[in-house]
Amino acid sequence: MLTIIFRSILIYFIVLLVYRLMGKRQIGQMQPFELVLTLIIADLATIPMAEVSVPVLHGIVPLLTLVVVHFMLTLITMTSQSVSKLISGKPTIVINPKGIDYKAMKKLSLTTDDIFAALRECGYFNISQIQYAIMETNGKLSVMPKADFSPPTNKELNLSADESFLPIILVSEGKILKENIVLAGYDNQQVEDLIKQQGGDKLKNVLILTVDKMGQGYLQMIEKEGKCFQTKRLVPHESL
Amino acid sequence: MRAFNLINLFLIILLLTGICLAEELTVTSSLRDVQDRCLEIVQIMDEKDSLKDMDIVLAVDNLEYNWNKNESALCCMVNHKNIQEIGQEISKMKMYVANDDRDAFKVSLEALKLYCHSYLHFMGANLHNIL
Repeated sequence: MLTIIFRSILIYFIVLLVYRLMGKRQIGQMQPFELVLTLIIADLATIPMAEVSVPVLHGIVPLLTLVVVHFMLTLITMTSQSVSKLISGKPTIVINPKGIDYKAMKKLSLTTDDIFAALRECGYFNISQIQYAIMETNGKLSVMPKADFSPPTNKELNLSADESFLPIILVSEGKILKENIVLAGYDNQQVEDLIKQQGGDKLKNVLILTVDKMGQGYLQMIEKEGKCFQTKRLVPHESL
Repeated sequence: MRAFNLINLFLIILLLTGICLAEELTVTSSLRDVQDRCLEIVQIMDEKDSLKDMDIVLAVDNLEYNWNKNESALCCMVNHKNIQEIGQEISKMKMYVANDDRDAFKVSLEALKLYCHSYLHFMGANLHNIL
């Protein structure tokens, strides 16, 4: 039994490594060949995990072979448009200004229910609001609403708005994030001073503390209400 | 990122090649060793009247010792179930030697040669195995 436990831990880390090697894209937006790979990996990993007579190498070798195949396929699809189309397919317009493209819908084996469900997921409940809808190769629907139904932008409304910047997390759950405070040009003492200036008490009671390039910050103590604040100190531009 | 992938790719291919070579060398040398020792036992057996002869006892003991030594390395690379019959047959052979059961000993010896031969065929990368 102890063998199975150790094997499970080992294979878990190997599968984790395999997914890390294949990149983050694998998890969220799977192309057909990536989906196939995921299904095979799930199956392959369980065999040496449960069967003690099967060497762990019998699980590792096919996993690594699949990583190699995946890398190669990815490289080929990146360099050749035609191979990419062959393996991953190409985006298809399912709704155009005339309405649902019936041929495209049937080609993709979709029903009107599927299209409506996908539209609702995108936040559109009425097909008359849609100018174009494109079925992407990863099976997700991209929707372009008609001009009357698209949300107005600040530019269209002639409004001026300040640019927003990525906030840097300085403290998370009572712990100073060293890399981030260097990035923001702070040191530990300055962070603690900042907490006190904003009405916080001890560092360990800070749930979250962020600042952005314009000196805008957010502080929330554990089990207390969060508050926004403005510091005079700006984060160096090259940091973000 | 692409360079990183290529380095990973190269390292993984290198690792896979190393594993394949190690498997090929270990399995082939271990099974060939068993086959050679079986042939040697056959030759000795032809010259002797009794299985209890010291030369045969020593040859079978050597066969068992070497197999036990190689088996642990083989278990890292091949399914243990596929090679456990070899160990079982060697144990039977020792029993037949003790009982001087010549016919059963010959059967075990042939079975042993067959297991080695079939596993050597089974592990090679050829079209039959791939399909």
